[in-house]
Amino acid sequence: MITCRNLTRRFGEFTAVAGLSFHVEPGAICAFLGPNGAGKSTTVKMFTGLLAPTAGEIEVCGLDPRTNPVELKRRIGVLPEDLGLFDDLTVEEHLQLTASVYGVAKQEAKDRIAQLLRALSLEHGRRTFASACSHGMRKKTSFAMALLPNPRVLFLDEPFEAIDPVTSKIMRDLLQSASRRGITVFLTSHILPVAEEIATQLIMIKKGKIVWDSPASELPQALERHYFDLVESPVVEELEWLGPPRS
Amino acid sequence: MARTAAILRALGRALRRDQKSIAAVVGNNFFIVTVLVLQEAGAFLYLILGLILLFTLSTDPLRKIPVSRLGLWPLERRERWMLRAASPWVNPMTWLIGGSAVWVARGKVTLGLWGLCAGLVAASFVLSALPLGPRGTLWRRMPRFPEPLNHLIRKNLREMLSTLDFYVALLLSLATLAYRVWGPRLPQEALMPLTLLVMVALSSYAQCLFGLDGESGLERYRLLPVRGWQVLLAKDAAFLVLAILVALPLAPLAGFGAALVALAVGHHATVNHQREQIRWRFSAGAPVVEGLVQCALIATAGSSVGHSPWMIAPCAAAWAGSMWWYGRQWDVTAHNGDMP
Repeated sequence: MITCRNLTRRFGEFTAVAGLSFHVEPGAICAFLGPNGAGKSTTVKMFTGLLAPTAGEIEVCGLDPRTNPVELKRRIGVLPEDLGLFDDLTVEEHLQLTASVYGVAKQEAKDRIAQLLRALSLEHGRRTFASACSHGMRKKTSFAMALLPNPRVLFLDEPFEAIDPVTSKIMRDLLQSASRRGITVFLTSHILPVAEEIATQLIMIKKGKIVWDSPASELPQALERHYFDLVESPVVEELEWLGPPRS
Repeated sequence: MARTAAILRALGRALRRDQKSIAAVVGNNFFIVTVLVLQEAGAFLYLILGLILLFTLSTDPLRKIPVSRLGLWPLERRERWMLRAASPWVNPMTWLIGGSAVWVARGKVTLGLWGLCAGLVAASFVLSALPLGPRGTLWRRMPRFPEPLNHLIRKNLREMLSTLDFYVALLLSLATLAYRVWGPRLPQEALMPLTLLVMVALSSYAQCLFGLDGESGLERYRLLPVRGWQVLLAKDAAFLVLAILVALPLAPLAGFGAALVALAVGHHATVNHQREQIRWRFSAGAPVVEGLVQCALIATAGSSVGHSPWMIAPCAAAWAGSMWWYGRQWDVTAHNGDMP
């Protein structure tokens, strides 16, 4: 469903993504992990047609984002890094816009919107303009927009950050339910326990290169431990100026 | 006291930076045309520009501090009162109005004009200090348009209503309407230049139609499975609705033709040189030469349609052609991940 070969993206002298090659099966939930600046969002942008690769090949739903951009966008749902919301539309208007643009029938759209607003606890703020929403509400709106047209592939950039625990659980359940229905989910996250819980495939990158790619079941140790071993270990520096520790 | 002074200093700095954005007015077609063409004869138009700027620059300076931050600062009750009382004086507009009272006393400025300015400053301060939501009923009650572009057009209308360009056009239009209703009979020949002036006031925005969408909005546009011409159509529809509205008391058909041409020319800068704009400021469009060419073509189109209504056809054709051409450019740049 998602394939890339030797995918590379350079920004001047800096190589953000260096020759990535991997494949994600239909219905899989692939967690794409790595530290800040590792190239996760750049990769998502290339898959969704927001950024052209410098080199390499991409195929999503059998389509190349460069040759079939509009057709591809009809088949994918995206929660982008900066959420992609318009300040001058309300939460509900964003969903109505999505339904219209993706050609969801009127009554069906009404039902789906009502269901998503309810499921994601957005009902009370449905008439709030995006500019006045909290970050969590904005994220949920963008998530609902990604899901609403019933896409074949979902690309979610950091979907669980700034989300309350209940909504996070609902989102995880929704993603697992989507996966059971054959929808492929490709998500980036820093929240390792969540990735460990729902992912069926794990890819870790460091400085634009893959350091691990396997089914989740083949992980040799706990995800956090494995991540610290392969990607980076936390180094905690004592802040002496906070005062002496209390015994 | 030291804490209040530190906050006031920071407030003054933030306000000065914000007020630098008024410099955008010099890149606005309306300003350029009035300065170059009307020169001293444009006194009334400068007054309108000045009053609108005065209103927007006189908002409560304390609004610059996020409510949560202001609440978290460890200030005594007395210090908060001092901050409230002193904050208006951080704004140069308050000093300007206070200082100009001397001119009234010396008879250099009429009391009526000074009162109007002082009233605007006070109204802007009080309105902005009131705990009202920034977007009320009017903002929500936008007309409905055909799907699938309905919500995009509504959004674009809200964006355009957040620029000062529209209010200059509206004031000119309303002033003309008031004159036509209550004043001596206005000769028909006077309507055409006024219509063109109103369209020129709107024209800079036609060069930066994505200016208020921000990075996030632009990203959404690029993710939507819609063609470039549809994106431009949604932008243009909002522009045309407001252009027709302000042209109604003047020469509507000529105004419509001029607006079509303003868009046809403006698409170039809109698609190729996206310029971020600031809400409640004047739009700053393309370089001066491009702006002047646009204004010249607006004048040609408007007066041609004024002479022969059939001339609306070439205006519409130019607009449609431009939308198709620049829509294709949008497709190439936006959908292959190579947005300028």
